Amino acid sequence: MPTKMIEIQHLKKEFNGNEVLKDISEEVDKGQVICVIGPSGAGKSTFLRCLNVLEKPTAGKVLFEGQDLTNISDPELDKLREKMGMVFQGFNLFPNMTVVNNIKIAPIKVKGLSEEEATKTAMELLKKVGLENKANVYPDSLSGGQKQRVAIVRSLAMDPEVMLFDEPTSALDPEMVDEVLNVMQELANSGMTMVVVTHEMGFAKEVADQIWFMADGYIQESGKPEDFFSHPTSDRAKEFLKKVLK
Amino acid sequence: MKHFKQLLMLCILCVSVFLAPLNAFAAATSSSSSASSSSSSTTSSTNAATDDSLQRIKQKGTLVVGTSADYPPYEFTTKKNGKTEYVGFEMDVAKQFAKDLGVKLVIKNMDFDSLLVALESHKVDTVIAGMNITPERKKSVDFSKPYYTGHKYFLINKADKAKYKSVNSFKGKTVGAQNGAMEYNLVKQNIPNVQEKGLAKITSLVIALQSHKVDGVLMDEATAKAYANNNSNLYTFNSHIKIDSGGIAMAFPKGDKSLEAAANQTVDKINKEDLINKKWIPQASKYMKSYKKHNTVASYWTFFAKGVEYTLIITVIAVFFGFLLGTLFALMRLSQNKILHGIAVCYIEFIRGTPMLVQIMFVYFGIGAVIQSLPALVAGIIAVSVNSGAYVAEVIRSGIQSLPIGQTEAARSLGMTKKQTFHFIIMPQAMRNIWPALGNEFITLLKDSSLVSTIGVGELMYQTQLVQADTYKGVLPLFITMMIYFVLTFTLTRILNYFEGRMKHAH
Ligand SMILES: Nc1ncnc2c1ncn2[C@@H]1O[C@H](COP(=O)(O)OP(=O)(O)O)[C@@H](O)[C@H]1O
Ligand SMILES: [Mg+2]
Repeated sequence: MPTKMIEIQHLKKEFNGNEVLKDISEEVDKGQVICVIGPSGAGKSTFLRCLNVLEKPTAGKVLFEGQDLTNISDPELDKLREKMGMVFQGFNLFPNMTVVNNIKIAPIKVKGLSEEEATKTAMELLKKVGLENKANVYPDSLSGGQKQRVAIVRSLAMDPEVMLFDEPTSALDPEMVDEVLNVMQELANSGMTMVVVTHEMGFAKEVADQIWFMADGYIQESGKPEDFFSHPTSDRAKEFLKKVLK
Repeated sequence: MKHFKQLLMLCILCVSVFLAPLNAFAAATSSSSSASSSSSSTTSSTNAATDDSLQRIKQKGTLVVGTSADYPPYEFTTKKNGKTEYVGFEMDVAKQFAKDLGVKLVIKNMDFDSLLVALESHKVDTVIAGMNITPERKKSVDFSKPYYTGHKYFLINKADKAKYKSVNSFKGKTVGAQNGAMEYNLVKQNIPNVQEKGLAKITSLVIALQSHKVDGVLMDEATAKAYANNNSNLYTFNSHIKIDSGGIAMAFPKGDKSLEAAANQTVDKINKEDLINKKWIPQASKYMKSYKKHNTVASYWTFFAKGVEYTLIITVIAVFFGFLLGTLFALMRLSQNKILHGIAVCYIEFIRGTPMLVQIMFVYFGIGAVIQSLPALVAGIIAVSVNSGAYVAEVIRSGIQSLPIGQTEAARSLGMTKKQTFHFIIMPQAMRNIWPALGNEFITLLKDSSLVSTIGVGELMYQTQLVQADTYKGVLPLFITMMIYFVLTFTLTRILNYFEGRMKHAH
């Protein structure tokens, strides 16, 4: 029996009366790769941000390794966030720090690693994504694909147990998409638990253990990629797939 | 309204707590003019029925005399070994009075029109400043017996000697007089269609005269003669304006009867021996003459140096606390907490919506009335810091708000706490963005610190006025001061630019 990593129970989120997430209950097992797909405005980002409580849910629970994130103190929450890496569509690198410092700051300040340890980890990780020669430049001088790889490394440096990705390739020029997806694929192969919001259907098909299809504030359908892509059941999913797979 | 008051008091309290350690420092550095922070045992009982005014003075061992030392030969400054000394025949009156009381004399020098406020708020024990007894003043203060009566003279440019010969020749002209002095009313009452210009200092009026901003200045005989004797471009003549003054006397807070009685004894003695005319005025003239020989502006560099020192002290301390307050109130304004947010908004809007000059006077006289021993320097620093804090808060707030929310989210998702995020991620970036605006605030602060001269803090502007009064020259000291301010702000700008460059470099 696989261990549950994240459990979502009757999650609701509204912004000033606008119900974006209506009632979501799902589970993520350790080592699983989940791809969340769906039309834009469906609430995918909001959902992902509820998982690490960047957005506080209006109702419902998010359990991480059995602990309810919606109902704990701030210091406890900070502690648990260390274990949940997040990669954003817009990279959100710190522009005033070099690449290596971007990666080192959280391990040093949050985990209390020494300068040398943090540097060592950062350089090893940069090497894995082929960017060790960019360690001492500022993010401004990187291409989009390089930035996103640095952002992934920055999260990995905290040694998280789960990685959340919010459309990590949507802001990239097409020729740079693959270099990022490859890194993510390797990460998946290494056994990392991942929740990925994406529009890359090829990646979803190939890498995901589960597809969650989201629309109108609900997860309309979830299943194995081969089932979902060949036999979608809901009308919303059929409509969506027709548009994207054309 | 009540809430608002509490709020204001809270702000003030916060700042006073911040600045408490400064008290000691200010006492140590303040010049003889304001070294009166000797913990006076004044329980400030203004009750006339239990008048202990005399006893109080004797207990604390000092007599604090308020004056406006730009009024030779009544009272003016001279320098002895580079130190400012207050001289003039009224200073001899003050010395005599203190001697008769058996206490130490402390002189507080300020603008003439601030003197009565200072008296009423018990910042000074008595005012000896060429102050005429008038019915209006008698409503708010008590007077001793008069010890001097002088005629009113016009001071004019010598070139205009043929043009102005009597009161009537000023019809429709511009005439200057000191704010709050009786001459101010006399001009209005005696010259038809006159345009009156009131300034706080006689020195400023003389400058106005020399630059033809006014055609004549009405002032006291002795003072007018002093100026005419010391400046060959000026001329003076008797206005023959009738005055219903009871003469010049010491002023006391209402109800300080025992102190006033003691003063009357001194005055009686002075009058009986005619000390003022026989001894003290000739003595004062000697000061003015011996002075004339070496009163080139350059020889006053120690004054300017002292002024720069105080201006820098005020600026550095106020920049520090202004930044601290600014950061604090910026965070409060950005806070989710409604109360903190409300306090910050009130503070920022209120301070930005009121003139700094008024704030300075309010801190000095208003808070000074509660905390009796508040030195002018500390009051000035508090006012400037509090003022700067409001502007800095808005700069910092805009700097924080201009950062993309993604920066915070990235930091928080890495497990950083709110505090760490602010400290390591937000503040460094905000600082880089707002550095130029912040630099402007600090340069403004340096310049605006000149306003604290009004409450008698010995910074650059104040020293300039002393030099003007001493040298009988108006424009040159101002020019020098302007240059000094420019050098200071220019240097500060360069330093700020250097750091801006370094921050840019790290990009
Ligand atoms: N902070 C917010 N305040 C108000 N409305 C929001 C906020 N964030 C998202 N929304 C709204 O929630 C809906 C879903 O947004 P989002 O989760 O970004 O969708 P998706 O990522 O699927 O495109 C949108 O209609 C959006 O306008
Ligand atoms: Mg989205």
